[in-house]
Amino acid sequence: MPSNPLQLTLCGVTLNNPVIAASGTFGFGHEYAKIMDVSRLGGISGKGLTLSGSAGNRGMRVYETPSGMLNSIGLENPGVKHFVEHEASYMRTLGPAVIANLGGHCEQDYLEGARLLNGANIDILELNISCPNVKAGGMAFGMLPDTAADITRKVKAISKHPVMVKLSPNAPDLVAVARACENAGADALSLVNTFLGMEIDVKKKCAVFENVYAGLSGPAILPIALRMVHQVAHAVKIPVVGMGGITSAADALKFLMAGAVAVQVGTMTFANPNTMLSIIDGLADYCTSEGLQNLQEIVGII
Amino acid sequence: MAEVIQNEPIANGIYRMVVSGAPLGRAGQFHMLRIPGALDPLLGRPISICEADAKTGEITFVYQTVGRGTAQFARLLPGQEIEAQGAYGNGFPLIAGEAVLIGGGIGTAPMLQLAKELRASDPTRRIDVYLGFREEAYLEEAFARYADSVKLNIGGYVVSDVNFSRKATFYACGPSPMLRAAATAAEQANASLFVSLEKHMACGVGACLGCTCQTTNGRKRVCKDGPVFDYREVQDAI
Repeated sequence: MPSNPLQLTLCGVTLNNPVIAASGTFGFGHEYAKIMDVSRLGGISGKGLTLSGSAGNRGMRVYETPSGMLNSIGLENPGVKHFVEHEASYMRTLGPAVIANLGGHCEQDYLEGARLLNGANIDILELNISCPNVKAGGMAFGMLPDTAADITRKVKAISKHPVMVKLSPNAPDLVAVARACENAGADALSLVNTFLGMEIDVKKKCAVFENVYAGLSGPAILPIALRMVHQVAHAVKIPVVGMGGITSAADALKFLMAGAVAVQVGTMTFANPNTMLSIIDGLADYCTSEGLQNLQEIVGII
Repeated sequence: MAEVIQNEPIANGIYRMVVSGAPLGRAGQFHMLRIPGALDPLLGRPISICEADAKTGEITFVYQTVGRGTAQFARLLPGQEIEAQGAYGNGFPLIAGEAVLIGGGIGTAPMLQLAKELRASDPTRRIDVYLGFREEAYLEEAFARYADSVKLNIGGYVVSDVNFSRKATFYACGPSPMLRAAATAAEQANASLFVSLEKHMACGVGACLGCTCQTTNGRKRVCKDGPVFDYREVQDAI
């Protein structure tokens, strides 16, 4: 049987291809399983979890901007316990690698969440450090190298799963945060989470979102995300998973060439549910036309 | 990929687009319409089914040009392609007996397919339609094919024309103030009312949680669990 040129190993887990559904854009797979062949994906990162779950934010939650969208969902999720008891086993039946995304608003929430996730059949724990830390005046864990490293080290000490830390592009020194997470034992890094943005309703003379600021995603952020992935991938030795506005196989190739071993796709799935499947097809075609034994040969060539 | 068969203005800022090659769906459901390959605007626009014709395989959407996405739709010409993902959402339940349909503005559009399905499911039932418009009426003639009566209200409050005390199932789609007025009237008369809600949504399939609303039965997604709800369930969300 000919080898699969798209196959890769991430954190010791074999992925059939480097295309992963981004957290917060794919639920736990139920909705898209009804309208597309989710088994073909490389992995699925489930909806971001918090220990006790969350009802999410009030008011406007999604708002389209030029070539992108702002979201202020507020991590609406059913909680880690529900995930462990109901969703993890469902996600396992789908086929792709199962990634649980864990956030938290204080250290204890993260650690208890990580402990509970030890009881779930998942492949990778993606640690979302973009959440505001209640004890630090609401500043996100991922903003500074020290706080990012601290939570990474503590989660690593508890988790039996490989830990992939998802970085916030809002950090003033993203490379320093990336290095700190690597030194703290992170098995991989994923980036970027959404950029903090804002929108104003001029007619109503008010901010569109109740929280005023919201997370920007979509093609609008691609060049900045690509630059950040390039910088981080060249600064650390652990694998980097890149994301930010990917809409096509060509976009995915840019992130791979910049140094990412795999990519996540999110916002574009909202626009067209079949986006990831056409990216996978496009990457396979690329391997054929370029005569690559494995797509990983082009990782970090720039 | 669906094809645009016809796309013409029927009133000021209101267009009627007929497409073929999209999954049909039924009354109260919607499609996410999108210009193929477009990155700006990026997301599909949820547009409800105005008419679905199983014989021709054609769907009619009646939409209002409110932003950049719908303005782009208005420029589509017959023969051009359009992405029509769907049909999404739960749709209106067809309850036995008399039916009263209330449409406000562009909320009139899904009521037409509802009238058609109610008539087809019971040719003898009574169907009364109340349509409210700010300035200019549209679609009212199409309703005459399925309804026993069509009453127009231009510039006033359409809900005030409706007698909620009669024995019938009430269906409403329109702007929030209209739905709130209908819900209040239905509550006073202890009437059965189904409302179709509208919210900003990104995916249309229940994944992004952008359109979550609080209901008496917990959080629900307007796109997936709705957009049609029993008004009692969503009074805080209208």
